Amino acid sequence: MMRVWLTPVIWFALLGVLAAFLPAMGSLFSWVQPGTDDLVYSRDSFYLLLQSHAWLVLVSATIGTLVAVSAGIFVTRPWGRDFLPLVSQIASIGQTVPPVAVLALAVPALGFGEKPTLLALALYGLLPILRNTLAGMDGINPGVLEAARGMGMSPAGVLFKVEFPLAGRVILAGIRTSVTINIATAAIGSTIGARTLGDPVIAGLVNGNTAYVLQGAILIGLLALATDSLFEAVERLWARRSLAV
Amino acid sequence: MPVSTAMPNRVIPVLALAALGLVWVLDLGVVLPNRIVAGTGYGLYGATGWAGAFVVTALLLAAGLLATRPVPKRFPVLAVLLTAALMFLPLLLEALATRRLPADSAYARIGIGAGFWSLAFFLALMLTETMHQLKASRHLQLTAALLIILGWWVCARREGLGSLSLLREYNNQADQFTQALSVHLLLSLGAVLISAVLAFILALAMVRRKSWRRPLLGLVSFMQTIPSLALFGLLIAPLAALSEALPVLQALGIRGIGWAPALLALIAYSLLPMVRNTFIALMEVPEAVVDAARGMGMSERQIFFQVKLSLALPVIIEGVRITTIQAIGLTAVAALIGAGGFGTFIFQGLGQAAMDLVLLGALPTVFLALAADAVLSALNVRRAPGD
Repeated sequence: MMRVWLTPVIWFALLGVLAAFLPAMGSLFSWVQPGTDDLVYSRDSFYLLLQSHAWLVLVSATIGTLVAVSAGIFVTRPWGRDFLPLVSQIASIGQTVPPVAVLALAVPALGFGEKPTLLALALYGLLPILRNTLAGMDGINPGVLEAARGMGMSPAGVLFKVEFPLAGRVILAGIRTSVTINIATAAIGSTIGARTLGDPVIAGLVNGNTAYVLQGAILIGLLALATDSLFEAVERLWARRSLAV
Repeated sequence: MPVSTAMPNRVIPVLALAALGLVWVLDLGVVLPNRIVAGTGYGLYGATGWAGAFVVTALLLAAGLLATRPVPKRFPVLAVLLTAALMFLPLLLEALATRRLPADSAYARIGIGAGFWSLAFFLALMLTETMHQLKASRHLQLTAALLIILGWWVCARREGLGSLSLLREYNNQADQFTQALSVHLLLSLGAVLISAVLAFILALAMVRRKSWRRPLLGLVSFMQTIPSLALFGLLIAPLAALSEALPVLQALGIRGIGWAPALLALIAYSLLPMVRNTFIALMEVPEAVVDAARGMGMSERQIFFQVKLSLALPVIIEGVRITTIQAIGLTAVAALIGAGGFGTFIFQGLGQAAMDLVLLGALPTVFLALAADAVLSALNVRRAPGD
């Protein structure tokens, strides 16, 4: 059971250790940026950037999940079913729009900073979750729901004891996609004034300092891989549990 | 006759009411004294006067009401009404320009407000729902979209909208715009093409050799997980070093920044959807079909090209569609490492706080992605019924 968690723990540990010790490893970066002493990004600590990056992704994923799952429930009930075709079209057409464009368009609408980034991330991130929620809920065999109702289950009972367990894995896969996209988009968010691990990369690109770029890029990559392996572990546990039942 | 014709539609009235609320609350447009300074916002009434406000309000109410009435032919009427409304929507901004733009300033310009975008968005949603109720063919939907684009193009060429800041920004940068378009297309389509060839070879190898499947799929999904900014960044140092070491590469223009790392990263990202779809498509050709073909005396070569590949094509094209959309978006990010394309306008605009420059980069990027989606989906629909 515990072995499932081994990979994510290793990734996150590596991420934490690097975030803490990168400043001390400055001389290692002298090969990419010879001829300068300015080898470590120092405007903010990497920890602070990591924290703020993770916070942005976490909050936007939470908002996105809540909104998408509620919308998914709404359009699969009898009284909301009229909206199902439109909502599923919004989910699929919306995903055609590139995330960086959503981020850029948030600025004319809302200005620079953390909040526009958060809103753009939540808005864009809810689309894959919405799409998977619809696929999961709509894909349930109607006979199963009929049987649950026939057993005398209340609508809420059917939702929580039948529909969620059956659609859960697909919804979780949607959240995983959404978080992967948002970790990447949040990094670009530093161009619109959010404080993220993209800061060193952007600063390095602007000043021609490859050491900065590398430091930011390594940490962003590690954050993405660590998070992805966490989802992998959760999905594996889920699969094992549903097999056991 | 479908049941829906007789039933009141609840979706369109809800959308119409939402649009009505937003268009009355938000600013339709902004009058800006120059390129950077924030301007004065005008709502629907302030921007277009009572005539414009009446037309917009009446149109939304009529559309909402019509949808609830069991009138025959209401959806065709709605389709025409909404398409026409969308076509001529920019005239609202022209009204703002004629009424509110100071005549004595050469720098004053009109910015597009949240009210305008909301109205356009909700009208588009109402049209989408109408098309769904009509069970409209892809041709009809495409025609409506093209009519709307034509309408906007005609409006943009009118004298009255010359003061629209987005158009001014475009006129300032017309040459760069054309160049950005060609770089953007070249980079994204080039990456799609190269990765399609690579993915096809990899997928064939995976079909033949079972032991390659897991490691190859693992590798391409690993690359997909790495955020774009990080991958672009990570490629800079090795490519710079390579280009220092090999003068041949330098002569070709391959450096740490620019198109080379962008193209490499784009190809890396394109591999996952391409390989996965091609592999699945080739694997899912039913064994019985292959047997039948063999029984008819087809050679292995004929079976591959005429049976397997043609059955697999829709799923492969779906992979190309996903990849192309993704590549168009990522190319915009690649502007950060100096690759050019529409992202250049986005990031320049963000740097200068010139919002219309941001729009000039972001809107064409969105448009390219939507157009690629439309074209490649249409290709698939045409092929799907058994040819």
